[in-house]
Amino acid sequence: MTASIRLSDSLKNLLGSEGLFTIEAGHSVREAIVSLGINPDLVAVVSVGDEMQSKDYLIQEGDTVRLLAVIGGG
Amino acid sequence: MRLYVDSTKCSGCNACRVACSLNLFDENNPKKSALVIEPHFPSPGMYTVKVCTQCGDCAKVCPTEAIKQDEKGAYYVDFAECNLCEACVPECPEGVMFIRAELADTAWKCNLCGDCVNVCGTSALWIAEIETATA
Amino acid sequence: MNGYAGKILRVNLTTGTFTKEPTPADVARDFIGGRGFGIYFLLKEVPKGADPLGPENKLIISSGPISGMMIPGGGKCDWTTKAPLTGGYAGASMGGHFTAEMRYAGLDSIILEGISPKPVYLFIDNDRIELRDASGLWGKATFEVEKQFKEKLGEEYQIATIGPGGENMVSYACINHDYGRQAGRGGVGAVMGSKKVKAIVLHGTKSIPVADMQAYRKAGMALYKACKDAEGLKEWIRYGTTTVVDWCNQVGALPTRNFSAGSFEGAEGIYGKTMREKIVITDKGCFGCPSPCGKYSRSKKYNSYVEGPEYETIGLMGSNLGIDDIEVVAQANLLCDDLGIDTISAGNSIGWAMECYQKGIFTKKDTDGLDLKFGNVEAIFTLIGKIARKEGFGVLLGEGVKRASKKIGQGTEKFAIHVKGMEQSAYATHNATAMLLAYMTCDVGAHHNRSWAITYDLQVGRDLVVPEKVARVIWLQNFRPMFDVIGGCRLQWVELSIDRDLYVPALEAITGIHRSWEDLEKVGDRIWNMTRMFWARENDGFGREWDLPPARFYEDAPTTGATKGQITKLEDVNRLLDMYYEQRGWDSNGLPTLETIENLGLEAVVA
Repeated sequence: MTASIRLSDSLKNLLGSEGLFTIEAGHSVREAIVSLGINPDLVAVVSVGDEMQSKDYLIQEGDTVRLLAVIGGG
Repeated sequence: MRLYVDSTKCSGCNACRVACSLNLFDENNPKKSALVIEPHFPSPGMYTVKVCTQCGDCAKVCPTEAIKQDEKGAYYVDFAECNLCEACVPECPEGVMFIRAELADTAWKCNLCGDCVNVCGTSALWIAEIETATA
Repeated sequence: MNGYAGKILRVNLTTGTFTKEPTPADVARDFIGGRGFGIYFLLKEVPKGADPLGPENKLIISSGPISGMMIPGGGKCDWTTKAPLTGGYAGASMGGHFTAEMRYAGLDSIILEGISPKPVYLFIDNDRIELRDASGLWGKATFEVEKQFKEKLGEEYQIATIGPGGENMVSYACINHDYGRQAGRGGVGAVMGSKKVKAIVLHGTKSIPVADMQAYRKAGMALYKACKDAEGLKEWIRYGTTTVVDWCNQVGALPTRNFSAGSFEGAEGIYGKTMREKIVITDKGCFGCPSPCGKYSRSKKYNSYVEGPEYETIGLMGSNLGIDDIEVVAQANLLCDDLGIDTISAGNSIGWAMECYQKGIFTKKDTDGLDLKFGNVEAIFTLIGKIARKEGFGVLLGEGVKRASKKIGQGTEKFAIHVKGMEQSAYATHNATAMLLAYMTCDVGAHHNRSWAITYDLQVGRDLVVPEKVARVIWLQNFRPMFDVIGGCRLQWVELSIDRDLYVPALEAITGIHRSWEDLEKVGDRIWNMTRMFWARENDGFGREWDLPPARFYEDAPTTGATKGQITKLEDVNRLLDMYYEQRGWDSNGLPTLETIENLGLEAVVA
């Protein structure tokens, strides 16, 4: 019952962190972000498959959840 | 091998055409590239991209045999042997055989260098084996 | 000269004559191009006190050394002038394919001078340059003008044109290109209109010389590879700048009902996801861009096509006006583009008028009978037309919120959301002190693109007022505009997070001059100080007062949303300015000291 979380290069650089994590499925993205010690406000985009999701999305087994930061704006 | 394109993925940026002119002529000049991007705006709002299929029809009609085939199977123009007769241009079914005498004293076409693929951020272009037509 | 097309074209519209001069090597060395060329020529050539809409003002259009090259995002074009909107410096950046074509025609800059006695358009095909009669085009909207030129001349031509907004010299009129790219801010379109230039039509087939061809091709390819390999490219291409709508709403940065709040209850209707699903039909990139943020949309409801909307337009024409329907935003976007007015200033001005109406300061008697409630779609569409055509109530709103609120009084200045007369773009800054400071000190007025620091606010603590935040804003102001100087786009660095050092060998191979980012930031610092000197030269009493934000951000806390009850204290606003001036080497009134001017080697330039 695991899923993976991948951070965008922008978020990796912002946090100075690794880019790939394996997590337990069944939690919300927000819970997963907090459990990784990331400030949820710094995550601008949550993407699963081809679609943007909210941080309340429940992570399913086998999902690859991609997280993006916005460091520069327009 | 040949170049393929999915026009629906093209964003019209023209990076491919600059890369192409750099490969063919060592120049930053998309007017001297071997790809065509046709924008259709404001409606219906899409791009059509034309690329060489390596069909070889141009080579068949070249009187000076300036259009040759390399080891990858790609047809290319040997600039030194082209006499600008223009026989090749109307033969090209895709409209990607070029002569613009004001820009170059040779015909030019895609030589399958692959630089266009390398700069395309939307993956609209790729190189693959030529698919044989199925009846 | 390697890396340069080689010539600067001056068009004297009063006499109808042209001169071409070699691009000066010393100016290229010291100011590189783009915005650097713009402020250099503006300070040197436009006399003190020139009327922005008079013959002494100039419109300076510049490329940079990566424009038109095999470098990601090499399609940015800078339009510098004395701004009709603010009376200060304007440097508007436009994407698309115009600047590349300018360089292929052999031109690094085009400088429009004087005023034509009749409407004209500037036609350039390599060395053939003509001013042609545009009386048949005058009055026409931008899409029709561009379409006519493309049908007549072919798709290889690139067009920049004004609409009725520019012709009527609306103070925030824009210049349109490629059916949806704009030089948007400060009223550059009004300056073009004042000069009676309807359009610039360009075609070129020349090549651009480089110092080291093999090194350039290698460095260019390395940049494209970095972009293509970046984690996040896929999402960025799918949503472009609209990726942030949802997030801005969550963190209270989405301007809502004239910036009275930072979260909007109807935001889901204008999210990037909603837009992609409902209206986007293709990605539309600027020149050489591997990560196109441009989305091209079709609205079924209005049976119309438009490039965008971008985030800024969604904020200002959407939530800021109480609009929760992306198709309405798209249609408002189309009307503004077609008529040639800036969506940011227009949305902000309409928001101010709606708040005046809500407070009873305006009634239907003032608004030509329009029911100016937040969310009234038809009123918004009608007002856009009135502003661009300078009709009725639109005349007042076309002046921008600073002048309009001064005329109306009654406390409306307090919710006129601008700095230095430029309407604030789409980030609410009730409680984000670095971003607030970025708006306060931006060199054109309240615009986001020089320094963008909201994520930094969230990272270190949004209400903190510390020297580190100020240093961050200054670093961004020196660094980010350098992309506008070299003629490229900052978004590959900004959003894909590619290593900025990859640009260094590319720029060196193109120009033959090695410049580290530290060197480039020094140029950025000089340019920043030059724009400041321009403001001071052109405006009596210019100083600290001009850097203050709208009172709303220190007096008027939101009553709803993520920033409910949150506000920046006026004393913190002043502390931010004190620290900023000190770190910049400016005096307590915000003017560069003699020592700073000398350290930057600017004595001659500002004398």
